Amino acid sequence: MSYKIKLNIFEGPFDLLVYLIENAEMNIYDIRVSEITEQYLKQIERMKEHDVVVGAEFLILAATLIELKSRMLLPRIKVDGTEEEDPRTELTQKLLEYTRFKRLAAAIEEQMDYAAMKLTKPQEDLQPFTGEPDEYLKMDIDQFIAAFKAFIYRRQKNEEMVAIRGSIEREKMTVAAKKGAIRRLLRKAKGKILHFRDFLLPNGGRYDKVVTFVSLLEMIKQGFASVKQDGNFQDIEIRYKESEESAQ
Amino acid sequence: MPSKKTIKSAFESMLFVWGEPLDVKIAASAMNVEKTEAAGYFKELQQEYDEQGRGIRIREINGKYQFVTAEDNFDYIRSICTPVHERRLTQAALEVLAIVAYKQPVTKGEIDSIRGVKSERVLEGLTKKGLVEDKGRSDQIGRPILYGTTDVFLTHFDLKTLKELPAIEDIEDALQYTEPQSAADLRQTSLDLGQ
Repeated sequence: MSYKIKLNIFEGPFDLLVYLIENAEMNIYDIRVSEITEQYLKQIERMKEHDVVVGAEFLILAATLIELKSRMLLPRIKVDGTEEEDPRTELTQKLLEYTRFKRLAAAIEEQMDYAAMKLTKPQEDLQPFTGEPDEYLKMDIDQFIAAFKAFIYRRQKNEEMVAIRGSIEREKMTVAAKKGAIRRLLRKAKGKILHFRDFLLPNGGRYDKVVTFVSLLEMIKQGFASVKQDGNFQDIEIRYKESEESAQ
Repeated sequence: MPSKKTIKSAFESMLFVWGEPLDVKIAASAMNVEKTEAAGYFKELQQEYDEQGRGIRIREINGKYQFVTAEDNFDYIRSICTPVHERRLTQAALEVLAIVAYKQPVTKGEIDSIRGVKSERVLEGLTKKGLVEDKGRSDQIGRPILYGTTDVFLTHFDLKTLKELPAIEDIEDALQYTEPQSAADLRQTSLDLGQ
């Protein structure tokens, strides 16, 4: 889980630095580096005190400021008498560009507020003209009646049957019983390989298949049988492990 | 050939049904007229709605037209609605959006460098909102993605084209920083030794 906390609404190091410069009423073209560096570091300390993880980008700017401060201490007159470029120029340019976009952000926000006063309506539902209409729309009423009649007929028939015979619960074979049956068959096979379908009951349906499969899995786990299948959907060969069972 | 009156009437109905900005091309081909002719009719319709001071107006977005309510009626409309939560963009999102809008096509690296902070998440959010999109790749090393604004952006900010963005010069004037007149002013007269 991570969550964002906004503190003092500084969007980043430039945002903080611009705030500090404006607050100190400095000209951005003539930043008093040592003063602003001190304030900047103090602000970062304060953020740390409030248990804010200070992003690496804040520290990068801190390092830049400290470097700048040290460079400001050196005279910039070259041997030939010409002057080196002001070390602050790059930072000033960056801050100016950032400030410019910050103002532009405010400008487009105003534009957005204005635009929000014009409301639009959603598109009409064009589904009947464009996409596939829903299936029931395609069916004519006679087909619909026929389908409903067929449903009622089946239902009545079912109820009549229940009335005559009462409901019959199918006897369900348990995994334990199935395991017994599988074991008997394997023993009778005397080491011969059997296939998965040999254990299925005639007309056993899906339920029987599942029970058989689960039973086999259990027997494999307990070490009573080993199985082999060459590929997907191919016959599963099953072999009985006599020794393991006698050890039990 | 349908009369001009019929075509304009048809366009009006189309605008109503469509709701979203309707491309002049689509409308023109539906009525079997030239695109420029169709555009003229849309402009006429737009003018008629404006002149009559209707509560519904027609606005143009990048060669598409859309019915909108008149902005003067916003307060009245709001008074019949239960207060709706206004979805606003965050400060970070606005900053990134401004950079993309004015500098497009622009890479993520350029945005990061202007803001001095990583903008990946914000950019992702703006892309998801459909305001910003991938406009191809730059030739720079690593072939970074170039980002630009979409028609959704124009619609959202009620701009006919990108040219209608608040002018960058106006903003420059608003910056009250005074650039030194000459290099001499910049020369450091005393060493900055702090307090």
